[in-house]
Amino acid sequence: MSEHAMQTARNYETGKLQVVIGAVLLIIFLSAIYSIQVSGVANLLDYDREIEARVPTFLVRMFFVLMALVATFMIFTSTALYKRNRVACAPWMFLSVGMTFFLVYVIVPIFQSISYSFTRWNGLYDITGNWTGEWVGFYNYRLLFDDPNFVTSLINNVLWLALFMLAVPIGLAIALFLNQTVTGIRFYKSLFFFPFVISQVVVGLIFTWAYNPEFGLLSEAWSVFFCEEKENIVGNMTKVCSIDPPSILGEAKYATYGIIAAGLWPQIAYCMILYLTGLNNVSPDQIEAGRLDGAKGWNMLWYVIIPQLKPATFIAVVVTVIGSLRSFDMIATMTQGGPFGSTNVLAFYMYDQAVGEGVGRYGYGSAIATVLFAIMLCFISVFLWRMYQDEKVVH
Amino acid sequence: MYKSLIRATAALGTAALLATTAYANDLVITFDDLNPDKKAAFEAAVDAFKKANPDINVTANNGDREAHKSTIRNALQNDAPDVITWYPGNRMGPFVDAGLFADISDLWASDANLSGKFNAIKPTMSRDGKQWGVPYSFYQWGVYYRKDIFDKLSLKEPTNWAEMLDACGKMKEAGVTPFTIGTKFLWTAAGVFDYLNLRTNGYDVHNDLTAGKIKYTDPRIRATFAKWGEMLDKCSFVKNHATMSWQDAIAPFAKGDAAMYVMGNFSVGSYKAAGLTDDQIDFFQFPEITPGVARAEEAPADAFFIPAKAKNVENAKKFLSFIATPEIQGTWNKAIGQLPPNSDAEVNTDDKFIVEGMATLSTASGLAQFYDRDAPAAMAKAGMEGFQKFMLDQSTLEEVLANLDKVQAEVYK
Repeated sequence: MSEHAMQTARNYETGKLQVVIGAVLLIIFLSAIYSIQVSGVANLLDYDREIEARVPTFLVRMFFVLMALVATFMIFTSTALYKRNRVACAPWMFLSVGMTFFLVYVIVPIFQSISYSFTRWNGLYDITGNWTGEWVGFYNYRLLFDDPNFVTSLINNVLWLALFMLAVPIGLAIALFLNQTVTGIRFYKSLFFFPFVISQVVVGLIFTWAYNPEFGLLSEAWSVFFCEEKENIVGNMTKVCSIDPPSILGEAKYATYGIIAAGLWPQIAYCMILYLTGLNNVSPDQIEAGRLDGAKGWNMLWYVIIPQLKPATFIAVVVTVIGSLRSFDMIATMTQGGPFGSTNVLAFYMYDQAVGEGVGRYGYGSAIATVLFAIMLCFISVFLWRMYQDEKVVH
Repeated sequence: MYKSLIRATAALGTAALLATTAYANDLVITFDDLNPDKKAAFEAAVDAFKKANPDINVTANNGDREAHKSTIRNALQNDAPDVITWYPGNRMGPFVDAGLFADISDLWASDANLSGKFNAIKPTMSRDGKQWGVPYSFYQWGVYYRKDIFDKLSLKEPTNWAEMLDACGKMKEAGVTPFTIGTKFLWTAAGVFDYLNLRTNGYDVHNDLTAGKIKYTDPRIRATFAKWGEMLDKCSFVKNHATMSWQDAIAPFAKGDAAMYVMGNFSVGSYKAAGLTDDQIDFFQFPEITPGVARAEEAPADAFFIPAKAKNVENAKKFLSFIATPEIQGTWNKAIGQLPPNSDAEVNTDDKFIVEGMATLSTASGLAQFYDRDAPAAMAKAGMEGFQKFMLDQSTLEEVLANLDKVQAEVYK
């Protein structure tokens, strides 16, 4: 055997030392992952930081999962199997990091949550770490459809979805309006985009104040027509109205619409920016050709511009659907589901029943989560299918 | 996040060291109130304890009250402190039932203060015939009112339902809304419900209802709602209460648009912060409704518990005995403007609300914790939503009661 061939053969041998070191590390890290749950080492962090205990524990565990992965790679890369198939293995190794975390922190919890939905459980383990719940089969699901709050949440989810779609045409209209060359147009564009940059919580607060029937912007405008200042019994000036200003967030029949309107504000800005970039890519040749054929106004928009904006429209619809399902933040800041649960959506009701204010119906909350998951799965499947079809056409 | 990771690894290292050296004579206390006066009073008590027990190495942690409601679950199950704050009544139920709180009945039996001076509050601290915690403070509920408005309309503090409705009528004539309230966070409505129920039916019905033994469609509870309907019609609350928190509801009270507020004594500081003086505000006990029903009061307590996983149980018990002493109970509650559960403790006689509170509670036939602490949380949530719905639209009564019966059947299973 030539020296070169011998060296090549050695290169394909398993590196025993590396395997041993890797295995030792792996054992250390895996036991760390396990012992964190048991001894709660990470809780040392919370006491001086005064924050929720679960966050650091979760992070520390995540860190050790990553370390365990690294150790696994160390073992794997020193095996003969890997050395002979480097090219085939490499992409999977890169993917494996993301896939592991996705599996541990997304896929597994989904199934855990689904399994909790068949139980009655208040979220507690007893002193010896035993689970305190009981198996109840489909009981939670039967309860769901008899629960007026659940039905309200479901209807509100549909309302959110339907009305949130308004963001797409309105965003398009504003984009068309702003798509012109005037001095300072960039400035105006950024003004219109501004609400999207603000956090949802802030948007929620601003609208809550604006809606406030005592001192809000709406009631101030209202008072100009219907109210007058009068002196009350102790000599303070107070507002007396012939018709009371609407209490948008205080009345069940308006509250959901009020929150949706607040949510639409940043969403319209988002759709607008998508369409603005889309309009940049509209081919001037086709517009020119359309002009020559006598197209203008609606015809031009409908038959020439909008078909070319199809990719932007697709993304705008996708982000709007997702946005409407993410209504949680707005509801939490504006009404917390009230008055009397009339603004709940599934996501908020789930939170409310499982962890909100110690209600502790984890099984019931999980059942709501499962229903929400099933609904979202329909949308996601449709989108994935569409994207898959589009990709097939390209190739 | 990066920083947390570094700190986490550092903590892991130090934990390994601590494991061999620590736990010699420690005491870890978790408290849950960052409001300046509450925080200072707690720290003063801890300092006094340190002075009395110089050999114990005390670590006191304090956190946000709302966050504590969720962190306590993790704290009790994983790395428990030695002493932790929580609410008595039904709120401690899930933790007691899961065995996460330590039984301290022996301390209640042997400690001179706990065995003799806490009789009024003892039932609240008990579950399954055992005691689980030591209260450090409680406060009265009742009607806070604008004395200057009452004087202007020559009204007296009403002592029964008829006088109250009569007073309301006069206020409305004068353009004053009788009651202010903010029901955005629901629990304020439960205060009104509790009082109507306690005065209409008494303490036992309150307890049976929150224990799930009486249905909401029961004629006695219907009678309570009938009184509430009367109160809504003849007294009326401020409009827009569904959009206001209890603090927001102080605005019409401070301005003089509303004259009365069914509230707890913790609110007095906020009235004063809104510009009202002791001459302008006063307190009366919620008036009698059914003659002859023994007067029971709302008196929510805050307490310390020992987690079952506590590592320094003896020190924890020492601390609980310490905070049960009349001296500590007295200074602590003077500082936070509340009442000491220890009947020997001194109260601040310069504060008229404290004096009235002491008079109210010491003569009460029973002390209720509050609807959302006496009833399990899932029931309380649905119940309070129902109360709010009824307040906004009385015609929903049947629907509300039927739904509450349904929730009750489910929750108390």
